[in-house]
Amino acid sequence: MPSLDPFVIAGPILIVVADIIVYVAVGKIGTKSSGTGNKYQPFTGGEEQIPARGTYQSELFVFAALFMVVEAFALILAGSFASPTNLYPLLFLAGGGGVILVITWWLMLVGGVRF
Amino acid sequence: MIATQIAEILLFPGLTFFVWVAFLFDWLDRKTSARMQSRVGPLVAGPSGVLQPVADFFKLISKEEIIPEFADKFIFFLGPPLFFAAPAIGIIFIPVFGTAAIVSNEYDLLFVLFIIAFSALMAAFLGYAAAGRWSTIAMGRLIVQYTGYEIPLIIALITPAVLAHSLSIGGIVLAQQSMWYIAYAPLSFMVFIVSALAELEKPPFDIPSAKTEIVGGWMTEFSGRPLAYIKLTKNLSYAFLSALAVSLFLGGPLGPVLFSDAILQASLNFIYFVAKLFVVGFVIFVIRTALARIKIDQAVRFFWMIITPVSLIQLAFIMLVWWK
Repeated sequence: MPSLDPFVIAGPILIVVADIIVYVAVGKIGTKSSGTGNKYQPFTGGEEQIPARGTYQSELFVFAALFMVVEAFALILAGSFASPTNLYPLLFLAGGGGVILVITWWLMLVGGVRF
Repeated sequence: MIATQIAEILLFPGLTFFVWVAFLFDWLDRKTSARMQSRVGPLVAGPSGVLQPVADFFKLISKEEIIPEFADKFIFFLGPPLFFAAPAIGIIFIPVFGTAAIVSNEYDLLFVLFIIAFSALMAAFLGYAAAGRWSTIAMGRLIVQYTGYEIPLIIALITPAVLAHSLSIGGIVLAQQSMWYIAYAPLSFMVFIVSALAELEKPPFDIPSAKTEIVGGWMTEFSGRPLAYIKLTKNLSYAFLSALAVSLFLGGPLGPVLFSDAILQASLNFIYFVAKLFVVGFVIFVIRTALARIKIDQAVRFFWMIITPVSLIQLAFIMLVWWK
């Protein structure tokens, strides 16, 4: 088993720690304020009060589920590079990619993804 | 040895170097778009206004930081530095002098994919945590756009890995000694650039931060230091994704060998890398200035119906041609 460079773990941790230290340090330059009142209300840009949280159509959740499937497919595909032959990754790519694309195209053509 | 590696990570060629590249990218971006729109762009701070992004950063830091009443204060505080950490971590896996990065691993490309996803999700968290009207709408747009570009982005990044039979960025750079992968997989390179534009929220995919529609997008409620950090992070992501494109498709820092001395050659490789980095950056600047914003449904349709199939076809073609 190949040895792991300790900085693969330590490097990112070092960056996050240094980043937060610098962020806190530069925070001393400017002033901070929080509270209640007009100044602390969300910006409306002169518009009438619009809903605080957007409304979403249920189709978006279908789309999100589809995204999860394709994301998993793409990540498995990423791992298939180590396969001794191209046959299985290629079959997987053709089969999986084909099925997903047909479903996606159908979903879009029937107007299933509206915003 | 440990001190050297820490200095490499935090100073050169790691974080500090790439932060300066990010400032330069911002300046070049503004200058390019200004020239294309018959304006002059930044002029005052430094020669030709080159220090304008630095001046803007410090100006924002010195301004008042307002925390909205209904914001999630924990994420509002911790979010911007974590958002910044994503591309900052990514750059330490990019080889700058040769085939070895500051930190490398057999599977670092997968880690970089995770970092790209984390960056987008962190932006969505920030938009949601601000609890503003516009930022919430922008957060929804950002997530929808993310579901469109993430898949082709991953597939475009897998293609060089398949060509090199390696998931290590250094390994992929090494495998391009004889020929850059842009020659074998030009469609994947194109897909990567298009997806990178969406990841960076640059036109025509600046839908989550569309100023004329939703004010400042998911950044509307941020001010002072968090806003300075968010803007810097976007420019750092610019530099990081350009560096990733250089490493995976343009041979990284490799180029003609002119010196037998290792240090001189490494310095030359560094110049090759920086030159390629700015060429890729310039391509992105020009595309983003030349194109107008499209609608969110058009963007998602474009990614699912054109870009994703193109990326899959290119990958299948590569697997067929490189049959073994």
